[in-house]
Amino acid sequence: MTSLQAETVPGAGIDQRALATMVLRSRIETFYYDEAALLDAHNYEEWVRLFSDDTHYFMPIRRTRLRRELHKEFTQPGEMAFFDDDKAILVGRWKKVADGTSWAEDPPSRTRHLITNVRVVADRGDELDVESNFHVYRTRLKSEEDSWFGCRHDVLRRCGDTFLIARRHILLDQTIVLSRNLSTLF
Amino acid sequence: MATNVDADHVDALVSLERGEIDRRIFSDEEIFEQELKQIFGRAWLFLCHETQIPKAGDFFETPMGRDNVLTVRQKDGSIRAFLNTCTHRGNALCRAEEGNTKAFMCTYHGWSFNLGGDLIGIPDSDLFYKGDIDRSKYGLRRVPQMANYHGFVFATMDAAAPPIEDFLGTAGRMFVDLVAARGVQVVPGIQKFVIDCNWKLTVDNVFDWYHGQITHMSAFGIGFLPTSEESVTDGGGAQDTLGRKIELRGSIPDGRDEMAVIAEYGHAHSGPTARAVAAHPLSGVQKWRERPEVIEAIGPVGMQLGGHSNIFPTCWLTKSQLSLRVPISPTRTEIWWFTFVDNDATPESRAATISQAIHVFGPAGFLEQEDGENWAQATKQTHGARSAQVPHLLKMDLGRGTVVHEHGVSRIESTTNEHAQLWTFHAWAQWMKGLSWDALHAATAPPDVI
Repeated sequence: MTSLQAETVPGAGIDQRALATMVLRSRIETFYYDEAALLDAHNYEEWVRLFSDDTHYFMPIRRTRLRRELHKEFTQPGEMAFFDDDKAILVGRWKKVADGTSWAEDPPSRTRHLITNVRVVADRGDELDVESNFHVYRTRLKSEEDSWFGCRHDVLRRCGDTFLIARRHILLDQTIVLSRNLSTLF
Repeated sequence: MATNVDADHVDALVSLERGEIDRRIFSDEEIFEQELKQIFGRAWLFLCHETQIPKAGDFFETPMGRDNVLTVRQKDGSIRAFLNTCTHRGNALCRAEEGNTKAFMCTYHGWSFNLGGDLIGIPDSDLFYKGDIDRSKYGLRRVPQMANYHGFVFATMDAAAPPIEDFLGTAGRMFVDLVAARGVQVVPGIQKFVIDCNWKLTVDNVFDWYHGQITHMSAFGIGFLPTSEESVTDGGGAQDTLGRKIELRGSIPDGRDEMAVIAEYGHAHSGPTARAVAAHPLSGVQKWRERPEVIEAIGPVGMQLGGHSNIFPTCWLTKSQLSLRVPISPTRTEIWWFTFVDNDATPESRAATISQAIHVFGPAGFLEQEDGENWAQATKQTHGARSAQVPHLLKMDLGRGTVVHEHGVSRIESTTNEHAQLWTFHAWAQWMKGLSWDALHAATAPPDVI
């Protein structure tokens, strides 16, 4: 009955490191859920503020490769990509939609960003390496439907009691992008 | 969705005189099947650039119509192209889209082929075939003709097609040489995505220097594309959904100094002259145009071209990119972007070229996001029986295009126009007739006025 006693006495017998890990993950998940809500509400102005000034927002091209050549599956920075943005380009993406003449998003797409499988891979104190999975669902106009799965490899920089995204590499689970465009952000 | 277009009477679908195209050709299934046979089954199609497969065993897969073709670097440095299908039971030999291999082994029964396509292995061939199989008969099927034109590898499924140099002609060679003569290599990573549109609308747009000021208005609005107070043009009564007059943000170049080229077999070029492009802040210094080998390769007309070229049917060449438009169905087209950097580019220049390629075109590009939306919606409307009867218009500068035949090339100097689009559709109709190569060449000889 020791475990029952541990639960009834606050703090007693609880693995403090496990607790700290849970609290950290919970804070990161909250950060990601708030971020997803901004994207789904088309609030790109606030969304862009979540990124550090030196951020790198990158979606490489994925290629179907033989298993023994899988290390060459993704293109690298300096090669071609779908997104390869610094902060200024990300701000440009927000302003493009805000300009009122971004026809591919007017009427706007309906999106839902689902973020799961959040894992803290490394904690360097000031920065964390965090991996998460996403399912981004999009419908447009009458019958147009897109569904993107993938994972995000982020570097989150501690900033007060929240974070800044200092790097985001988006690994899409498609080689040929099965959509007419990527006017949606991840 | 078949709309009973008579593919044998294609002249009624394209009017060079009126500048009108029958919209049913953008979703008709019978037309599409005819296109695969008469156009994609005969024309020289781009496979890859030689720098994508530098080492022996390097391969890259490209569709030719519905055939999948493997382009393979040989041990002696030459290049061969094979159908990606096992000669035994048809399985795809290679499931990777690019890579390096020592041999191709079919994963069905193990028939194996060397880089040259020879059948080199049949499991249990003595025990089961009892020596009855002649390996020399069952090598991989090579495409009927393949050629490497200045690093650009093309192939045709028609053994009777003229050599690549003749198919390209002076104009087509000039279009390729505008990129090739600088000495270029492909940047790793071919962007591929799918647009739910007809392939011909994507080709029409290659030459369209009219749409940018409206379609890509947001790119001008945020300063991604430069604007000029001096070049502000007439909104012409265009207004937005609040009834406000559209104020055009003067684009650079401003469309007043353009050159189109129309050529045999349907190749064409359209856009601002090199002089007009040089005024564009993003164009960079075009020092390469001063090199003797470039001047010789592209000729006096090539020296003046600054727009977009298309090798018929679907190979679009820009200064630093090549875009293949791969027909999947009447209403589905894959877009493949190949990006080139000069072999002697500085690291800064290389990075700038790559950044521009990623941020202008491609699915997340600041321009092409909007393009795909236009083509998809235009394609969708052709499903309406009545909407499809509204003609597709290419009337801009119609009948005013004086064609100058000089230096083996036919050019038109004018303001922004729709001559190259109209020429492409005219050539499309001739291809669809299934003419002999000589008759096709004659039927696509540029006129004196367009």
